[in-house]
Amino acid sequence: MIATGHEAALHRRHVVDLELLHALVLPLLLLVGFVAISQLFDVSLDDTLIRATPFVFTGLAVAVPARAGLVNIGGEGQFVAGMVFAAGAALALDDKLPATVLLPLLGVLGALGGLVWAGIAAVLKVWLSLNEALSTLLLNFVAPLMLGYLVFGPWKDPANYSNLPQTAEFEGSARLPVYGLTQLHLGIPLALLAAVVVWVVLDFTRWGFRARVLGGNPEAARRSGIAVRRTLFIALVAGGALAGLGGMIELTGIEGRLRPGIGVGFGYIGFLASWLVGHRPLEILPAALLLASISIAGDSLQIDHNLPSTSVYILMALVVLAVLGLRGGTRRAEG
Amino acid sequence: MFVEDVLIGAVRSGTAVLFAAQGEVIAERSGVINLGTEGCMLVGALAAFATASASGSPWLGVAAAIGVGLLMGCLHSFFVVTRRANQLATGLAITFLALGVTAALGSDYVAKEVNPLNPVPIPLLSDLPFMGPILFDHDILTYCGLALGPLLWVFLKYTRWGLVLRATGESGAVAFAYGHSPSRVRYLAVMAGGALAAVGGAQLVLAYTLNWVENVTVGRGFVAVALVIFAAWNPLKATAGAFVFGGAVSLQLQLQARGVDISPFLLNMTPYILTLAILVATSRGRAQRAPDEIRAVFGTAGA
Repeated sequence: MIATGHEAALHRRHVVDLELLHALVLPLLLLVGFVAISQLFDVSLDDTLIRATPFVFTGLAVAVPARAGLVNIGGEGQFVAGMVFAAGAALALDDKLPATVLLPLLGVLGALGGLVWAGIAAVLKVWLSLNEALSTLLLNFVAPLMLGYLVFGPWKDPANYSNLPQTAEFEGSARLPVYGLTQLHLGIPLALLAAVVVWVVLDFTRWGFRARVLGGNPEAARRSGIAVRRTLFIALVAGGALAGLGGMIELTGIEGRLRPGIGVGFGYIGFLASWLVGHRPLEILPAALLLASISIAGDSLQIDHNLPSTSVYILMALVVLAVLGLRGGTRRAEG
Repeated sequence: MFVEDVLIGAVRSGTAVLFAAQGEVIAERSGVINLGTEGCMLVGALAAFATASASGSPWLGVAAAIGVGLLMGCLHSFFVVTRRANQLATGLAITFLALGVTAALGSDYVAKEVNPLNPVPIPLLSDLPFMGPILFDHDILTYCGLALGPLLWVFLKYTRWGLVLRATGESGAVAFAYGHSPSRVRYLAVMAGGALAAVGGAQLVLAYTLNWVENVTVGRGFVAVALVIFAAWNPLKATAGAFVFGGAVSLQLQLQARGVDISPFLLNMTPYILTLAILVATSRGRAQRAPDEIRAVFGTAGA
């Protein structure tokens, strides 16, 4: 299709309108959706904030690599890897170190777990050009099996009368502090902080700029001397580290012990959150709130109507599909 | 005999992935990646199981799977062809939708029973030593699956429609210049791919697991998409890849059945790690063989 000058001008205006839609309308719509769902299903704000926290981390885990043009579908596995790394250290050290030392250490280890898990895909991407979307996706099916092996085997709570597959409960030094008598834990402000830090790094630093150039036009990036491999590698493992940190926070803020089934689906929901808002870090916050309120509503569906809690994936997917479809793409028209 | 049991199991458990992978070969040859293949398998599996369970006829189940598979393909096409939305994100969202729908509608069918697709041994051939039970003692769908790779290969290489499909995948603009609508070709290809993936799902529940559970496919559709890349978009190699995956599933089940002292969790990892490993082992130079329009989707710096 040959674009005339007039058509091109129309197209430009169309693009500008969409940018405006993003900056103002979409986050607002997400918040309206969040309030509506919360009212409709009687979801408490505390519960939503707690549930939204891991979604923020797994969403940022998609947004950072996306800036460099990478598709990280592996938040699910990276989240689990972060939990496993943190749990190992918590089990070994929770009676030896005070919380002020242990918690930062667990945070670093959680991030390291996610980093290693994403690092596998990053190495394959950078040295073998193996597509990262597929490698991260396949690794999602391996990580929960690793967790299962550990909690059914070597890490199983020895003093566990019910014989459940889970580790011993961590001592208080490996638990995130909570606010008063609520379950609101330190991870919630940390999620907010993480979104701001990612925003600043992506939008206001040289590395963020290089990643954006690379994501926008790899050939231009290469010609302007950007270290393509290194930037890709860092973007993907940084995403993994964010997901892993999210896993550590869920583990030490809510669960207090490792067991199968923690955070199932959280990685994919983060993926949806990030795509919902075009990978803009700050807008991931309202997206995570909306998806969290839907997720909590799903728990009550299960209790009240005996529907599997995964039924709410329908609503989440429809919201994301609607936005993807409305936003459309920039691929040139042909026929 | 151990080797024979593993190989019989490889064909039994690989066939579902085989159908999905061949469907994905068709879709990707037209220039569309469908991560919704996992979702197509899931809805196909539930549609087949529910229909077969209600009607008593597994073949009606297969027909139902084809119907919903076409619909799922149409849905993916609408977003990625008509609306030009990102293919990977749309595919994953569709899989998520399918997970939710099948979880909600399928909860009534957990622990239900169904008339399975019974094995139909082929006379004489099935009596062959070793190869007989491995290849010629299966359900009809498995025979169809075995024939699918070669048939699709001939279709792509020697027929006019195969040429149009490949041309669309290399360059929609060129196909358009020759008078074919790339959009229509892609709609048809993705719908055909969705239908095949759904038949794979039907085969999974009607001939392999014989029951329905939430997320019964556990990543088989994603594995199929990965195998298509390993296979360099060649249906014959996709067949081989599917049976390698099936072999890994079968091997770990046989090892567990024989009481090998390895954690079942570690054994369960092998099919996924093996899929990744064969992608790695065969990665060199493969990107150059990708249909051009697919390369545009994966479109990051090749690094």
